[in-house]
Amino acid sequence: MKPSADQIFDALDETILRSAALLIPAVQRSEWHREWHAEFWHVRRSCRTTGSFSWPAHREITAFCLGSFPDAFCVLRQSWLPPSQPARTPAAPRPRLDGSAAQYLLCLFVVLAVCVILARLEPGVRAETDTSRYQVSPGLILIQAARSGDNLTPSISADLFRNWKATRQRYFDQFAFYRTARETAPVSSAHVARWRVAHASLNLFSMLGLQSRFASAATEDDRDVPSVILSHETWTRDFGGNPHILGGLIRFGHRTAKIAGVLPYGSWRLPGRPDAWILEPDAQLASDAPEGGLGYLLAHLTPRGESEMLGDHVPIAHDGDPNDLELCGVSFANRLQGPWGIYRFALFLALLALPAVTSVTLGESNYSAHRPSRKITFIRWTFLGAKFALIASIANFASLDLSYWCASTYSPLAEFFQLVWCFSICLFGFRWALSDQRQRCPVCLRRVSHPAQVGLASRTFLGWNGTEMMCMGGHTLLHVPSLPTSWFSGQRWLYLDTSWEFLFADSGLL
Amino acid sequence: MAADAKLSHTAAMILQAISAGVGYGFSIMEMTGLPSGTVYPAMRRLERDKLIRSQWEKQSIADAEQRPPRKYYNLTALGKSTLEASRKRYPLLERLISTEEASSR
Repeated sequence: MKPSADQIFDALDETILRSAALLIPAVQRSEWHREWHAEFWHVRRSCRTTGSFSWPAHREITAFCLGSFPDAFCVLRQSWLPPSQPARTPAAPRPRLDGSAAQYLLCLFVVLAVCVILARLEPGVRAETDTSRYQVSPGLILIQAARSGDNLTPSISADLFRNWKATRQRYFDQFAFYRTARETAPVSSAHVARWRVAHASLNLFSMLGLQSRFASAATEDDRDVPSVILSHETWTRDFGGNPHILGGLIRFGHRTAKIAGVLPYGSWRLPGRPDAWILEPDAQLASDAPEGGLGYLLAHLTPRGESEMLGDHVPIAHDGDPNDLELCGVSFANRLQGPWGIYRFALFLALLALPAVTSVTLGESNYSAHRPSRKITFIRWTFLGAKFALIASIANFASLDLSYWCASTYSPLAEFFQLVWCFSICLFGFRWALSDQRQRCPVCLRRVSHPAQVGLASRTFLGWNGTEMMCMGGHTLLHVPSLPTSWFSGQRWLYLDTSWEFLFADSGLL
Repeated sequence: MAADAKLSHTAAMILQAISAGVGYGFSIMEMTGLPSGTVYPAMRRLERDKLIRSQWEKQSIADAEQRPPRKYYNLTALGKSTLEASRKRYPLLERLISTEEASSR
């Protein structure tokens, strides 16, 4: 038997009432629910005058049930008050966060919480934020052919690497080299994987400052067996994340290597994206290199080199290459700084650009003798500061979430998107926060409402024309000119004294 | 709470409706046109401030009419005097919700 639409809506409405009842303290819950249930019965009978299904009737019934939430919150608030506390009496305006201001902050906080949760779930973001904690050696550059430009391409031969390493260098004190090649590796009896393997010098990881996980100690028997470091992706994809493969042997083509460790997820920021790294002595690197096989050369700058080789691209003069190749050093410090550097830069840019998209003043001017107290002013500025802080935090996490939604690990494109998203969210978020602040009563932080058109544009010289809005607490009127003039260029607050209170009973009992 | 305490227009309307004999939440909603999310919390506060009091109707009455028993509200002495003060402040209140109109419902 299929449930009818009426039954489905009844169940929905009942669920709403029961959900609201959960907010009520347990001792009051049954009576509260009994009252709402009895009223619900009458609402249903009143709205369902015809036997057939009616959308407006159900909408009305559901709207009635949704009203149980404000009531439940009211009961909850009352239960928090001590029993001896007297009922609220009408009093002078007190500095407090009005409901809408508190809700505003709560909404921002919820958005931030969602962004943080998403960031923890997305592997790309996890890798990015984790990598930013690694200590990567400073002063590293990648040396390549000048003709490659911005593209990081393999352009250095292993012979040149050996040459440079063997000779005394003024600007460099350490070199490391790697070249990548496609090789097969039998990962199980049934499956032969085809990996991109990096043949690297023994000091590559120590120079980068990267430590592999589960590193196994070398034994006497391993002297002639090269070590292989697996990428985290390869380890999980081809070995199911099994830690017991560490120390085992694996064949690459005609050669056997010992699995010595796994590189932490997302820590490799250099070009090539290898699945595994075989660490070999320099002589073997040069002898095993195929004809014309090129790779990447990393160099560590001496203090003198650091002071003289400033910039992202620096030409490198050398005389060690018979082919007279023009070389340049490419700094990849940006690649190693993690997302925080980009975030800080985007935040700085957004703050710089903010005056271009909105006025940064809050319309503080007023033409009455009444001024809010220091306490009220402090709360108002704290509210603005909290909004900025929350928006800035949201921008950080949301930009990472959006940039690494599809990218599982670092990529220059993801970094670019992070910068764009972060800048956009900060800029428009701050603009929104400022425009919201300008429309909030400086006394109670309620948004002003009930806009009324005042004056005529044709009589601007006789009196101002624009929009007048009022605080429903009866504290202020906001005047916004339609045509800014030399004597009325920005919005103004008019603080109302207590003689206006009788018009605004909102600050009274209820 | 002092009888001369100022009520908002909403609270005064609800008090006026109860005074006119409309004693149930949903009936007050119908009479005032206010939504449930406004009426019920307002009644909680009025009851907290001892301007109204609530009472469950007898089970036997509800059983006879085959419906759940309802909680109905009426004014306290303090509520009556506060409403009297509010009528001076909101002179149109009695015209909005008159006793005759309420009793005809």
